[in-house]
Parts: sequence; C-alpha cells; structure tokens
Amino acid sequence: MSTIKEALSFAHVVILMYMTQTGVIVFSLPQIEAQYFGTNGWISVIICSAIVTMNLFVIGLLYRVGKGKSIFESMEQALPKWALTPLYGGLICVWSMLGLMVVKEYVLIFQMMAFPTTHPMLLTLIVDLLILYLVTKGIYNIGKAASAFYWLIIWMLLLLLFFIGDFEWSRLTTFVFQDGESLKQGFIAMMTAFLGYELCMLLFPYTNRQTKVIRAAVTGNGLLTFSYLSLSIIAFGFFSFPQLKVMLFPLLDLMAYIVFPFVERLENFFYGIFLFSIIVTAAMYLWAATETGKRYFPRMDSKFLSFGLVSLQFAVSFIPDTLNEVKSWLDILGKIELGIAFRLPLFVLTLIFLRKATRRGE
Amino acid sequence: MRIFQRLLILTLIAILLTGCGDKRILEELGFTQTTSYDLLPNGKLDITLSIPQADPEAKTKRMILRTTSDSSKESRIKMAMQTHLQLVSGQLRNSIFGLSLAKAGIWNHIDTLIRDPSISPQVKVTVVNGNAGELLRKDYKQQPRTGKYIDKLLTKEAEGQTVPKVTLYQFARDYYDDGIDPVAPIIKDVGEHISIDGIGLFRDDRYITKIKPEDALIFAFQRGRFKQGELSIDLAREARSDKQIAMLSGLMSTREVKVNLGRNGHTTVRFIIHIQGSILEYIGPYNLSNDSDRKKLEHQIASYIADKSDEMVAMMQRHKVDSLGIGTHVRNSMSYKEWKSRNWKDELYPNARVLFDVTVKIKSYGKFR
Repeated sequence: MSTIKEALSFAHVVILMYMTQTGVIVFSLPQIEAQYFGTNGWISVIICSAIVTMNLFVIGLLYRVGKGKSIFESMEQALPKWALTPLYGGLICVWSMLGLMVVKEYVLIFQMMAFPTTHPMLLTLIVDLLILYLVTKGIYNIGKAASAFYWLIIWMLLLLLFFIGDFEWSRLTTFVFQDGESLKQGFIAMMTAFLGYELCMLLFPYTNRQTKVIRAAVTGNGLLTFSYLSLSIIAFGFFSFPQLKVMLFPLLDLMAYIVFPFVERLENFFYGIFLFSIIVTAAMYLWAATETGKRYFPRMDSKFLSFGLVSLQFAVSFIPDTLNEVKSWLDILGKIELGIAFRLPLFVLTLIFLRKATRRGE
Repeated sequence: MRIFQRLLILTLIAILLTGCGDKRILEELGFTQTTSYDLLPNGKLDITLSIPQADPEAKTKRMILRTTSDSSKESRIKMAMQTHLQLVSGQLRNSIFGLSLAKAGIWNHIDTLIRDPSISPQVKVTVVNGNAGELLRKDYKQQPRTGKYIDKLLTKEAEGQTVPKVTLYQFARDYYDDGIDPVAPIIKDVGEHISIDGIGLFRDDRYITKIKPEDALIFAFQRGRFKQGELSIDLAREARSDKQIAMLSGLMSTREVKVNLGRNGHTTVRFIIHIQGSILEYIGPYNLSNDSDRKKLEHQIASYIADKSDEMVAMMQRHKVDSLGIGTHVRNSMSYKEWKSRNWKDELYPNARVLFDVTVKIKSYGKFR
C-alpha cells in the first residue's frame, strides 16, 4: 500500500461522521418515532444511540486486533480474493446506491416546494455531479469540505429555540411507548437514521494513532444524538402526538413555522442548507463504494471508477419515480446496510482470529 | 483530466440553463391574501379570494374572485379561469369561515390547506359571525384593504389577549389532541368597521358556542401564561355596592393546573392563577394608596375572576367543549389504560369539578394618589 502522508485529524473524523449520519431521514424523524414507538417516542433516540455506540466498540476492537490495517487487507490475508467477490460486489452495490437514493429523495422533497414540473433526474444529476466532484478529490478533502459544511448547517440547531414559546411539556404525555405500531420496525427505522457511522471502518488506513478514530466516531455519534434528541423533544412538545403521527415531514413544518420580523416562509432556504449534509452523506457512501472497487482495479484511476459507479447508479435511480417508491427503496437499502454495519466488523474479526489460530496451529 | 473537468463544467452549464423551465414572474402572479368559505343551502361551497393588486394600472387596490364549487381546490381552478394572473397561495395570511360552514365542520378545508406545502402553517383561522364572503367582498372606506385589515386587526388583538392567536398549526394541533378542543376568533361586520365578536369554541372541527368578547381576558387567564393585556371589570356584585369599576392594565398572568383523581370517578381540577397588573382607572369607595384598601380591592377582583371562571367553565362543560385543555392535564395524571378506557369528553369532563384559585396583585396605580 501507499505510504500515508496525511492523516485525518480527530475533529475531521468527528464532523465527517456527524455529517454522514445526518441524512434525509431527519425530516421525518419525529414522525417515525411517533408512528412506531408511540408516545414519548423520542426516548428511542437514546436507546438507538447506545446500540450504535456498542457497535462502534466492536469496530474499535477490529481496529485494535487488525492493528489499524484496512479491513480489506485483513480480509484478503485470510481469504482469496475470488472468495470475497460476492461480498465486495454487494458492498459496492449497496454503498453506491444508498448515497444516490438519499439524493433522489432529497430532490423529490425539494420539488414539493420548488421546481415541481422540472424532471427530478435533472436536479439529481446536478447534485450527483457535485458529489462526484467531491469524491474525486479524495477522503482528506471530503473531510475538509465536511468541516466547512458543518459550520454552515450546525447553527440551525439554534432555530429550535424559536419553538419554546409554543412548546408545552403536557403535550409529551406521561405515557411511554404507548399507541405505537411496532417496536421492532421502529428500531429498524430509527437505526437507519443513525447509519453512516459504520463507514469509519474504511477510514482506518487514512488515520494514525493521534486521530483516535473510534473515539472520534463515538463523539460524532454523540453530537448526532444531541441534535436528534433536541429536535425530537421539541417536536413532541410542539405538535400534539396524534398530529405528529400523520405528518410526513415534521421538520419541514417546523421550519415553515419560523417567522422573523423582516421575513417569513424561509423553509425553502433552510431546506436548501440541508443539501450540504446530503452531499457529505452521499459522497461518503460513494467514496466507500469506490474504495471497495479499487480492490479489483488497483491500477485504475479511482476518478474513473467513481464516475462509472455514479453513471451506473444514476441509471438505476431512474426506476423509482415517486416519493413513496424512493422511500421504500431506501428502506430496503437501509436494512441491508444495517446488516452490513453489524455483521461486517464481526466477520472481519472472525477472519482475523481464525488466521491467528491457524498460524499458531502451524 | 482537463477534459474531464471541462466536460463537467459544460454539463453543469447546460443543466443550469434548462433550469429556466419552472419560472415564476412576479407581475404574472396573483398572490391570494385571504380566502373565505361559506356553506350554501344546497351543500356547495361559496368561495371568495382577495388578491392585492401590484399593477399600477389597476383601478382597484385588490382583485376579488368568487365561485361556487364542491371543493376548495376545484374552486381554485375555476377562479383561475377568471383572471389573467397565475394564482398562488404562498402569501395566504388568513382563511375565514362563515358561521354556517363552521357549524357543519371545517376540517376538510383545513386539511387541504395543511397538505399544500406552499401554504404556511401560520395562516390564520377565523370564524365570521355571518357570511364570510360578504364581509371579505365589502370595502371598508376608513380602513386598509379588507383582507389586510382583518389580518392586522387579529394580530393586534391577539397581542392584547382579546382573541387567541389561532393559525393552521394551532387548530390542527388541538384538533388532533384528544385532551383539548380547538378555538378560533370570531369577527363580524358592524357597518363601517369589522369588530371582534368573541372566541369560537369547537368540538372537534365543529363550532359549538362562543365566549363573549368582554370575557375574553378571563378566558386567556384560564388558558395559560401571558403578558400584556387590559381588563375592565364591574365589581358591583362583588362589592355589593352601586358602582365600582376597575381597569387593569399591563397584565401578566401565570397558570398552573393540578388534578386530583377521586376514587369514584370524580375528578377535581384546580386552576391556580396569578395575575399582576396596574390599575389605570378606578371608580369606587377605596383609596388606592391605602394598603389595606388595595388588598380588599385585590380580593374583590380575584373573586370576580374566579366567579366568572366558574360560570364559563360550567358553560363549556354543558356544551362538552374542552377548550381549556383540561383533558391534557387529566391525561397526564392517569395511566394509559385508564385514559383509553374512559371517555373523557362525554363522560368525565362534564362531571369534573373545576376550581379556581385566583390571586391578584396590583403593582401600581398610576401617578396619582
């Protein structure tokens, strides 16, 4: 492998993780909590965050045992490449599709407010090109761009203060998880809202000891938990519970409610700002897919690889064309990705242990 | 790699140019400012739109469109056929409902307004005592454009607590909540002007009864904390004297609700209300600079407010409208099973015992002894 000249810093990984985890699902987050968990569904954020942290500790173990080596290398040392082909192929498909589907959903929601009759794929194409451009610059630059984007987006948390006037604790009710549809489905849906953290597995070769990559990922997840929690609690006290259950995008309604003395109806502007987070999410997944692809074509310029992946997935994303279809695609992809997030580190860990055991046996 | 970048820029330019497709030109848009809904005897809707005219060549300050139809979106299509402007609803500020429609239920129309992402959740919901369309179509000579006039009137009055601020957001929130019923301000035409005519109380989405304008402040005390407001009260009954009038200004009020669930299903709800204000007008026997006199007056005002509150709550209980949201507080003192097994609005609420614990503090009494 090439020698590491540069390494991601702690802060970069924190922000990168936070921005990757914040996806398009944030717009419907309080609704998911209300629909599946029921009253006081915001508590699920804490539970899911704890599960994610545990998963991150498993990944941390992988980092320790693998001595910070790339997970691909660890796998390839234990198994021949042809045996890994189905896994790699699957990873490339899921990762590249997940990123671009998030973009498509973002675009379709955007079209409810502006450009309703423009072809959605045109808008998707523009965003995809931006992402492609970012990915071709490499992970260090994605990290730097994410940090810049982070400051453009994080101030929006302060907007939550606007809702304190209409917020009432009594609307939260004293019941916990009553009147929800299904806890199991709820946890799956909520966990997909946290996805993105698992990509820190791929960051190993781009970090050094000073980065403390796992601690950074845990911090990033903590930051995300904080913003999810504050958003959810505000939503549960601002809207009535049965109302929250029937709203598709509570965050959009929250943003539309904001009125400044000099201007109102700013939701288009606020929604536009979320593009930064979407770009980072999609770019990170595309980058992950490219990294996997590089195992097959190590000589090929990764720019062309990314280009190929984007073109392919762009063609695929023509198929679902309504918001509901895109949502159900994202649902399925999210579930698969959840499986990857939990099982891939365990799989690699097993491979490493097996290899160690067989070596000792020799 | 140069070629790659150039290609990228070229495609970007090409795409950005095609973005000119979905355009909106200001002069060609008709920004609906107020919409009125009335129910006709034949079951159809009578809808009127008021659109301010920006065109300097226009002869009137606003354009009025009217049609009858089965649904509000259908009416929009019909009305679009009557004008050269493209109708948009992004600047809608107020939706006013005639009493006939309010009595029949307005949820279908509220639902339509909420569903449309171009409509702000801050659009006001107002009931007209009479015909909403007539009120909106009428020009009030001494006032601004009628749509704007109603909007400004309601905004100002809401600041002084004589009507609650009710927007699509508030109405929908309380409509869905099983522990509270929605309310909406009522206005009416009084010849040369429009006047506030109280607060409409709804059961689900149907108008049931109203709070008289003179009791609006007391209703505000019961509903929650607020700052700013004026209250004029006739204390003749409390003082058992001929004439005694006090006017409180600069009001600040806080409310606390305590619920006690009795063993045999008798719920007791206690409202603890603290009010602070300055006396700006007083006609009566007391000397305001005397501490004990002032205390007596405070007590009289407090018992006046408590008595009035009792009457108002009894009226609301009789009509089975929980406009104060007592249900949300009772709900929070019960277990989920208990709450779901009981029918709050029909069974518990009309029989609940509601008590008012009011304290009044006179902060100052003007610049005169």
